[in-house]
Amino acid sequence: MAAASVYSSPGFDFSNQIRNNFLAGKGLPLPKATSTGTTIVGCIFEDGVILGADTRATEGPIVADKNCEKIHYLTESIRCCGAGTAADTEFVTNLISSNMEMHALTHGRKPRVVTAMTMLKQYLFQHQGQVGAALVLGGVDATGPNLFTIAPHGSTDKLPYVTMGSGSLAAMAVFESTWQPNMSRADALQLVKDAISAGIFNDLGSGSNVDACIITATHTEMLRNVEMPNERVQKERTYVFPKGTTAWKKEDIKKLVLTEEITPLAVEAMDTT
Amino acid sequence: MPDMVTLSRSSAPGQPQQRQFNPYTENGGTILAISGADFSVVAGDTRQSEGYSIQTRYAPKVFRLTDKAVLAVNGFAADGNMFVKQVRQRLEWYRHAHAKDMPLRAIARLIQTMLYARRFFPYYVYNILGGIEEDGSGAVYSFDPVGSYERESCRAAGAAQSLVQPFLDNQIYFKNQVPQPGRPHPKHLPLTTVIQLVIDSFTSATERHIEVGDGLEMYIVLAKGSPLHGLESIDGVQEMTATNEGERIFIIRRNLKRD
Amino acid sequence: MDHIDMNRLKQGEINLGTSIMAVQFQGGVVIGADSRTTSGSYIANRVTDKLTYLHDRIYCCRSGSAADTQAIADFGHYYLQIQTQAMGEAPTVLTAAAVMEKMCYQNKDQLSAGIIVAGWDKKTGPSVYNIPLGGGLFRQPWAIGGSGSTYVYGYCDATYQEGWGKDETVNFVKNTLALAMSRDGSSGGTIRMCVITGDGVERKFIPGDQLPRFWEGKEVLGEVTKKPPPAISAVAGVAPMAVEV
Repeated sequence: MAAASVYSSPGFDFSNQIRNNFLAGKGLPLPKATSTGTTIVGCIFEDGVILGADTRATEGPIVADKNCEKIHYLTESIRCCGAGTAADTEFVTNLISSNMEMHALTHGRKPRVVTAMTMLKQYLFQHQGQVGAALVLGGVDATGPNLFTIAPHGSTDKLPYVTMGSGSLAAMAVFESTWQPNMSRADALQLVKDAISAGIFNDLGSGSNVDACIITATHTEMLRNVEMPNERVQKERTYVFPKGTTAWKKEDIKKLVLTEEITPLAVEAMDTT
Repeated sequence: MPDMVTLSRSSAPGQPQQRQFNPYTENGGTILAISGADFSVVAGDTRQSEGYSIQTRYAPKVFRLTDKAVLAVNGFAADGNMFVKQVRQRLEWYRHAHAKDMPLRAIARLIQTMLYARRFFPYYVYNILGGIEEDGSGAVYSFDPVGSYERESCRAAGAAQSLVQPFLDNQIYFKNQVPQPGRPHPKHLPLTTVIQLVIDSFTSATERHIEVGDGLEMYIVLAKGSPLHGLESIDGVQEMTATNEGERIFIIRRNLKRD
Repeated sequence: MDHIDMNRLKQGEINLGTSIMAVQFQGGVVIGADSRTTSGSYIANRVTDKLTYLHDRIYCCRSGSAADTQAIADFGHYYLQIQTQAMGEAPTVLTAAAVMEKMCYQNKDQLSAGIIVAGWDKKTGPSVYNIPLGGGLFRQPWAIGGSGSTYVYGYCDATYQEGWGKDETVNFVKNTLALAMSRDGSSGGTIRMCVITGDGVERKFIPGDQLPRFWEGKEVLGEVTKKPPPAISAVAGVAPMAVEV
């Protein structure tokens, strides 16, 4: 492969920083990043871990995506919910997912949840909170079910039930009032759904549908849109504009269909061998 | 919640720090009014929020002032409620003095004076006044927080103003729509169409704005002697008229999404 | 660098607004901590373990930023593992404390961490080292730290005596932490303790409803609240006001 003509250092590119600081000093506001003002939760049950998330992504007070996916893939049996700056959660989980695959390949065995947790916390600590990812990490490995939260500055907590994001208080209220140790799969899933629903209905940053992911030692089940309590209602009118509604200044019609005339020189019998 | 905001960022010990009390809050929500030939529709959602939390799912933002005037207030809820209370008191005094309800254009001018009286400590509210003029035509007046106002035939204000107003400009004023040959745009829209547009405005704003939702309240003011324009066939209409003759007021309530 | 500000946490950073403690006695050390982790006024974790493993007989108590102290402890743990392999024997508490102090001092501009390192080693037996906010290494018979510690310096000075055994020391730590937790809003939850001796590490856990209790002002407040307030209708000549709905 030919070498790049201009050297670029690995990692983040800070070349616009001076210009942007100058513009910010002049009063130009920084562009708003899409944030997943979110409710994400995790819960350990008798034979695994369940992760849950809402599906609303916001840009300030505007809903940017009504059905986004916040449960990210790390490995087959380790998944990670992301809250905070959407780009950061997406990038950091992709990066660690890639590194986990490399780790599995070099060591020839299934990687552990603590490995992912350590990689994530070290990456986030290195960037001193500038990478705005608040994560709920869960999975099952050789040591059993594991569940962690990772805050943007790189601190971690290990608990049997966790919540994060702007709806974390609403969701934690549900956990603190109804969680029990060693819950059954069905009960735990219902609890996760209730916790996310509490976020969806009581936190303005969260909304739309419930996603869940059930991870056990043998199987991972991604339940996309397991609950849809906020389907779009039927509009009163239909907004169809008749042809010619949009004003135009110039008409230019081009022929896109090409016609070609083929003259066979000799008739050949079909090859049927 | 009104809070103390530190203006100076220096925290050197012994240095003076400037502090300021901020008495205002933004409570979200959206209001909207459209006038027709002989009617006026004023609507608002019922969610009241602060930051990312909902304070209540039912706090009215639209208020009946008289049989011919409805006022919608949006912005800082405490100021809004107080302002409506004071406007109502002034209208009651007028009724005692003149033995009739104040005409709509006079209410509009009254609201201007009341808002401007607080020019340097404003009511943090956007007002939209809807109703019937003395000539029997539907009217909408919209105000800024310090009293600048104009009569229009359609206006949205509040959190989702930037989402709803362009839709209204397109559907009410037919902006960016070339009429079909031989079919000019109608001067006034029928009441049922207007109600449908209002409902669709709010369901759409609820989809894309986090501060809009929970409930919708729509007030409809009909001119003296005007027919019902199909209002009677709409689900859950309630009449709110106080007197027997004159203008009539109706209300329609709808649920909006609660997420 | 002018001075160190305890509240210099980065925006939104998670804080161990903590009460921590370590006390040495004849045969070992007792370390203890509350279990509260806060983010602003929200309790992010009510059963935190702030007693962190550095080596087989060396632990540390963490206070300050959760992210910073975890990173320091993770590095200390890693360093001591390497050191053990290189030297072929368990490191001393002083070695552990010195490397932790070095991290805190050299990166003082970027860290908010107040750490107590305590443990047992063959050379000196039990020892407690305090590493305050900007670095510095101080061997003490007892050390307290975190935001809750300011409330109990007087209690410790008045209570501590040399020559205690294990049980007396455990009680001293338990009582001190309970007092600190009751006065400091950012400390609370449960008490976690470790008794580290040459024989091993014994963990102790005091649930939040079994904390030692001291004077709670009941006698004074009880007298006032015993009398029920008079019902509105009982007050002569005052009619309930009609409320506008």
